[in-house]
Amino acid sequence: MPATDPRKPSRRDVSRRTFLKRASWTGAGMTALVVGAGRGRASGQATAAASYPEWIPASTKPPKRGGVLTRASAWDPPLIDPRLTQSVGLYQFAGLTSNRLVRYALSDEAGGPSDLTLKGDLAESWQSDSANRVWTFKLRQGVKWQNVAPLKGRELTAADVKYCYEAYAKEGVQTFTFQEIEGMETPDKYTLRVHLKSPNTLFPQNVAEPIAIVFAREVLEEDGDLKKRLIGTGPYIMKEHSRKVRVVLQRNPDYFDKGRPYIDEYVILSTPDDSTRKAAFRTGQADFIWVASPSEVEVLRKTNPNAVVQAYHNTLAPFGVALAQDKPPYNDVRVRRAISMAIDRQKQVDTVFEGHGIPGWGVPYLYYQDKAPTLKELGPWVQYRPEEARKLLAEAGHGKGFETTLFYYEYFPQMSSQVQLVQQDLKKNLNIDMKITKLDYTTYYGRYVEGKWDGMSWGFQSGHAVGLDERTYHYMYSRSTKNFFRVNDTVIDDLTTKLRRTADRNEQRAITKKIVDREFDQVLRMWMPYDNGFLVFQPHVQNAAARALRRSDGYGSPTLARAWLDK
Amino acid sequence: MQKYVIRRLLLAVPVLLLSSLIVFGLMRVMPGDALIALMGESGNVGQKELAKLRKDLGLDKPYHGQYMLWLWQMVNLNPGDSIFTNEPISVSLKKAIPVTLELAALAMILGITIAVPIGVLSATRQDTTADYAGRVVAVSGLSIPDFWLATLVITFSAIWVHWIPPIGYVSLWESPWRNLQQFLLPAAVLGFRLSAATMRMTRSTVLEVLREDYVRTAWAKGLAGRMVVYKHALKNALIPVVTIVGGQLGVLLAGTVVVETIFALPGMGRLTVEAILYRDYPVVQTNVMLVAATLVTLNLVVDLTYAWLDPRIRYR
Repeated sequence: MPATDPRKPSRRDVSRRTFLKRASWTGAGMTALVVGAGRGRASGQATAAASYPEWIPASTKPPKRGGVLTRASAWDPPLIDPRLTQSVGLYQFAGLTSNRLVRYALSDEAGGPSDLTLKGDLAESWQSDSANRVWTFKLRQGVKWQNVAPLKGRELTAADVKYCYEAYAKEGVQTFTFQEIEGMETPDKYTLRVHLKSPNTLFPQNVAEPIAIVFAREVLEEDGDLKKRLIGTGPYIMKEHSRKVRVVLQRNPDYFDKGRPYIDEYVILSTPDDSTRKAAFRTGQADFIWVASPSEVEVLRKTNPNAVVQAYHNTLAPFGVALAQDKPPYNDVRVRRAISMAIDRQKQVDTVFEGHGIPGWGVPYLYYQDKAPTLKELGPWVQYRPEEARKLLAEAGHGKGFETTLFYYEYFPQMSSQVQLVQQDLKKNLNIDMKITKLDYTTYYGRYVEGKWDGMSWGFQSGHAVGLDERTYHYMYSRSTKNFFRVNDTVIDDLTTKLRRTADRNEQRAITKKIVDREFDQVLRMWMPYDNGFLVFQPHVQNAAARALRRSDGYGSPTLARAWLDK
Repeated sequence: MQKYVIRRLLLAVPVLLLSSLIVFGLMRVMPGDALIALMGESGNVGQKELAKLRKDLGLDKPYHGQYMLWLWQMVNLNPGDSIFTNEPISVSLKKAIPVTLELAALAMILGITIAVPIGVLSATRQDTTADYAGRVVAVSGLSIPDFWLATLVITFSAIWVHWIPPIGYVSLWESPWRNLQQFLLPAAVLGFRLSAATMRMTRSTVLEVLREDYVRTAWAKGLAGRMVVYKHALKNALIPVVTIVGGQLGVLLAGTVVVETIFALPGMGRLTVEAILYRDYPVVQTNVMLVAATLVTLNLVVDLTYAWLDPRIRYR
């Protein structure tokens, strides 16, 4: 005790200066080590991303029964009432507890990621009348509700589906889709006849949407809502739902698809933090994970070299710059085109998404062409041409630029970088001063959906939808309540209406292409680049690959009914 | 003493009332409401339906009516139901409070266990390598943000030892071992932060006390160093340390928000943040009032501890 005990001699004193000197050298050394360790990582990223397969075909081995599939999830269901939310937090498992009338092909029966074939789920077959206004669905016989009170395994009938669709039409988030129904009849226990208010050849796609699940009438009648219990006919029974902790799904032994599902339990752990989710995958606490960028895959593969990677390719971008196009200056198409041409989308793809992203479009390309469009194919107004943009803006009377605002909610970290890049581009190329406001979700959402804002917003279209009708008529028809981008174009109105009245697949493709061309020509929705991302699986996970329209960790969860664990 | 406690408790009433007004007002000033959050991404609900839902949720009442109703519920210890989930708030709290309480308690224990010995060591070996090391640790604790430290801890645990705390909370009574595994790292992260200020305060007060006459007398009597430091010096040096620890409780509760999120623990922090994001007014209001009441009580406890540490202190 040198300073205070006068009886003892001083020990090895270290002066402040000596200490700081030593500390500085140590710090410098550590920095050099870290910098050195990080070198050489970026160079391999692009090639690595390209080397991962887009599709993981179904396993050729016979499936094994049993085991527990676990996933650390970013999403927590806000509530479990399918009438009241479209949140991915709910549909990451609701598609496993419940069924729809029809569905898209699951990963072990799909020919590839872009297989858009509709298959029967609760329905065995379906057909329309010649006018496409009456759709008749023949239900599977012997489908039982899960053996849980109050259903106790009773048989599903057409009346159940009718009741459910009526409830969706009555209130909640699916009213737009189901209010299209004029009436329903059930000529027998297994037949549901749906009369639509207007012809729609795409109606089966609407009831194949991941959110259109059939819930149990008894639960709604007993509880008054569906916030406490989710009982369906699906491959898994919801055994536990502890908010902010976990959702546990247990195999339904009475599932109509005999022998399936293969996995005994699917556990979804609520894990809001990204680094924790990655740590969970690394340590084997999670069986699969979604990551956005090639560098993240590479980092994960350093600790998990046997991980199986699927390079996902998005068929659409859900986000874009939404303009108040019903007001000046954005009601002038020249202004919209100038802004669009002043934004360097390729730079966003290359920098923000490390080259693994799409330039951005809103209608899934699979509905009008086979290959994803390149930036060039999206038309002249999305090409980065600052000079032409300046001229066009001057022609529109805004040669000196103007001031505007943009509000957004950061759905993912890269979004803020994108917003800032757009701000820079507009200032540099068009002298447009864009004031950015970052909002919390509820404020952003309320303001955006209300649709009375001025200036710009980093807008979205619902993330759940996969169907062509939803992606065209529902989102672009001028009087649709889901027309968040405030599109008001008579040509689009005509085309989207015509599309839903056209039964021929080739004609549908042609009309869809016209809709997309018109959208890009008039810059009705200014789509921004979006990541492609990767699904990374532990090597024992089989048949869980994501398909083109849906990821198996989110709205595409029903595909996990066919997954199995090779352990 | 009794009078003092009663007076302090009475003084807490206006503090709590003011807090209730502030939190109620702030929640109403924030744009958007629970209904908008509840509707997810639909945008397809008619005005008539919206009005009906607002009425069902009690959001159509005038503000003063809503405030009085909530106050009455709080006085009756029945804070009502969550707008968002319909779950009684008391049930949500029953699940969340033990998590935060356990985390905070463990963090406090770890923090003090680290801080006091190192602070004493630092003071008794002033200007040695041990002292500088202790001070570096303290400054690091003060300057490294919780979220960054927690992220590093979880990432490097996974990479280096291929282990992280098991995700998916289990209660202490359900599985004590698993529960301890889940809480040790987050408590260490929080405790590290807490220990920093405490460590510095311990060092400086112990240094000050060691220079007092009575300590010199103790040395002169030939008492062993350990006896002088721990028996004579430390107890007298602890009053400012207790004040600091008491003051740190607010920081500790704030820190649980981040740490609970990173370590996926379903405590008060996550409950409150989620409620704020979803504009779940009753839940936010109740949680904030609970935290306010806790802090008021803890401050009183800290004040009362002084008398135990220094019998010369009298409360009037």
